[in-house]
Amino acid sequence: MIRAGRRFLSSLPALFGVLVFTFLLMRVLPGDPAVFFASGPNAGKEEIEVIRKQMGLNKPVPEQLMLYLYDVGSGNLGRSMMTGQLVTKDLRERLPASLELTLTALLIALLSAVPLGVLAALRPGSIIDHGVRFFCALGVCVPTFVSGLLLIYVFYYLLGLAPDPTGRVDIFASLPPRQTGFLLIDFLLAGDFDGWWAAFRQLILPALSMALFVVAPLARITRASMLVSLGSDFVRTARSLGLPWWQVVVTYALRNAILPVITIAGIVFSTMLGANVLVEKVFSWPGVASYALDALLSSDYAPVQGFVLLMATVFVIVNLLVDILYGIADPRVTIG
Amino acid sequence: MSVTGSRRLLAVVAFIAVSLAAGSVQAQTRAETLRYVTGASVNTLDPNIPGSTREAFAVSLSTYDRLVSFGRKQLNGKWVFDLGKITGELAESYEVSADGLKMTFRLRKDAKFQDGTPVTAEDVKWSLDRVVTAPVLGKAQLLTGSMTSADQFKVIDPLTIEVTLPKPDKLALPNLATVYPIIINSKVAKEHATAEDPWALAWLKENTAGSGAYKIETFKPGEQVIMSRNTAWNRGTADKSAFFKRVIVQSVPEPATRANLVERGDADLVIDLQASDVQSLEAKGKLKVTSTPQYNAVTFVSMNNQIPPFDNVNVRRAVAFALPYEDMFKAALFGRGSPLFGATWADGKPSSGAYPIPQPVKLDLDKAKEYLKAAGMPDGFSTTFSFNVGQASTAEPMAALVKESLAKIGIKVDIQKLPDAQMSTQINEKKLPFFTEGIVAWLPSTDYFYRNFYTGNQRWNYSSINNPELVEIAQKARFEPDAAKYEEDGIKLNAIHFSEIPQIPLWQPSQDAVMASSVEGYTYQFHRQVDYRDLNRK
Repeated sequence: MIRAGRRFLSSLPALFGVLVFTFLLMRVLPGDPAVFFASGPNAGKEEIEVIRKQMGLNKPVPEQLMLYLYDVGSGNLGRSMMTGQLVTKDLRERLPASLELTLTALLIALLSAVPLGVLAALRPGSIIDHGVRFFCALGVCVPTFVSGLLLIYVFYYLLGLAPDPTGRVDIFASLPPRQTGFLLIDFLLAGDFDGWWAAFRQLILPALSMALFVVAPLARITRASMLVSLGSDFVRTARSLGLPWWQVVVTYALRNAILPVITIAGIVFSTMLGANVLVEKVFSWPGVASYALDALLSSDYAPVQGFVLLMATVFVIVNLLVDILYGIADPRVTIG
Repeated sequence: MSVTGSRRLLAVVAFIAVSLAAGSVQAQTRAETLRYVTGASVNTLDPNIPGSTREAFAVSLSTYDRLVSFGRKQLNGKWVFDLGKITGELAESYEVSADGLKMTFRLRKDAKFQDGTPVTAEDVKWSLDRVVTAPVLGKAQLLTGSMTSADQFKVIDPLTIEVTLPKPDKLALPNLATVYPIIINSKVAKEHATAEDPWALAWLKENTAGSGAYKIETFKPGEQVIMSRNTAWNRGTADKSAFFKRVIVQSVPEPATRANLVERGDADLVIDLQASDVQSLEAKGKLKVTSTPQYNAVTFVSMNNQIPPFDNVNVRRAVAFALPYEDMFKAALFGRGSPLFGATWADGKPSSGAYPIPQPVKLDLDKAKEYLKAAGMPDGFSTTFSFNVGQASTAEPMAALVKESLAKIGIKVDIQKLPDAQMSTQINEKKLPFFTEGIVAWLPSTDYFYRNFYTGNQRWNYSSINNPELVEIAQKARFEPDAAKYEEDGIKLNAIHFSEIPQIPLWQPSQDAVMASSVEGYTYQFHRQVDYRDLNRK
């Protein structure tokens, strides 16, 4: 545990680097946020100056950076021009939405990818193997927003099975008291099962369209690593000892094959969290990625910087988690 | 049948009846709720905050009242706002003195803020002072109506307020009906004012203190706003409160999803669909589609008159005759709008003094080549054509057609697609030679357009034209009381526009409002958003 803490501390310089780099990058990008936001029909030079002052852009860049670092140090990430709110507040409200969606998608992906990969590895070259390969190729080829729109078209528009794809919960429903920000958990805590079901129904389509996209890398890596492990000596020994096949496959082969899958799952999760912007847009999901994209398009500095910092932190934490999971999956590995 | 059996039956019947009744109650509340979906979002509850979105304007129209508001009229069978008819909103009546220097407003005696306290002249003065004094958006707007200082607003008695003007200005009264001069409950606002923020800008951004038709129930910036009806409000056209009990304004970024929602009947109204979706929904005939040309907006192809080669008028003329107008109109807008090209002007004189009017230009490559030759560039030149990402759905097909057509007269065009903030920065710095943009005027009059969009070294003068004659006529026309002379000035301005061709007006795109067939009363407003107070369900 102490080691884990020390590792986290050692990633702080990297986070600091990310912070400064993003700050400078945003200033270097062409596009003046003040001009963009002063876009009323009569906004002139004066209005632009007011906004510039409000955003602190009238000061020299080094001074801006010092002020920003001071603010970040005291837990203030600045204010978004776009939503008019503090960035910390925006992120706190939106991060659980993104996490809930991404975790569900990852769960669906793992639950389908690992069995698929194992099946494919058990019968390499068979019709099952080809079927899995075809399915994976399809999932990767179709961009998430296309599969999202397709799912909406079929399940909402044609069949009417899914609720309208607008956000995390039916607009006419009332929200549970906010505890964790994860609606599925909050509804359970409030004991509101109808609400839980409604939130789950909203979640399933966007999670599916994200999962489809990441099934492929997970299934392929499971298959590859299972093939190696199935061909190894200890599996042959286990087989020759007459152990039941499921014990051979699950306990011996899969346990040994799971390490690379965990690595990939960690990477996939971090990427999904930031890159699911298209799914968030298509399903009007109030998550962090679509928030960051809107901010980037309008050169709204504070939210973009806050988002990048958040993503870097999440990445660090996920990597740490992956390392800890390593230790569980393979006792020989320790966090160094 | 035993007694218990029939009881059980009764219980079942009763249960079914109760659940049916509950269902119909739910259906009824749905009918009394308006769900409006939009690709944009509301970011502040005070429209004056720099950076306010247009959706924020729409919400503020329902949560606040102004002294006066615009009437409405029918234009080709569709309701649009009427600049010529100004009616009282918080004002019961108003009069403008004979010399045009004084406007007196008498407030409604029964008008109350949402907290139940009466609206007084003190509140009106504080609110108007705020607009002209605080660093807010309304300042520049009221300037166009000669209102610049708090001294101009005087409380006569608790229900009377007087506005004095330095000179008679036609736009003074209409300015008070625009989005910014909201009347705020000054007692409440002052409680939340601080030494650094004497006008309570920070508090009013997140809270409302108005007398408007709707109260804010929930406000989630960037996601949704839910408003409930203020039953005490009686400033509507028929002097009764607004129809819908609840209004939900929800951000749905994906246009295809918005189209699905309204088609399935889950949303009631949407005004920002893609032209192709509008067309297919209209063809299906299930929904009501009201298309109104945005007659206070214009889309241009602009050229920077200060940068070579566009500083040469013959180059600009060559471009004007080399654009494939019809094809652009179809590709970009699916023909949904009113074209500003292909007119014929008798004796080469502008057909009217209004702005904008259709220009006598059409695709004529031979003529374009002649103009290029006259400019001394028979072999053409290279340039870039820019548009912003936010307008890509219309500007992208248009840019491709511009490029193709100009290539035929030797002008080589590189297409530049810029992020919105970058585009506005470059326009502001006058760095773009050739681009497409749009303008809108809340108070569309000829002099207003020419003064704001064709004069001075400022952002909205897209073409950077500097023509002293144009400036002089436009400034004079602003205070011209005689309608016939004003029309004459307008014709002169339009003639200068055509001979200089600083930029090429293309069309006025339609505002396509797609709504459930039960929704009625939709009116095209000057701010190009929906005024929820106009709407009802039959």
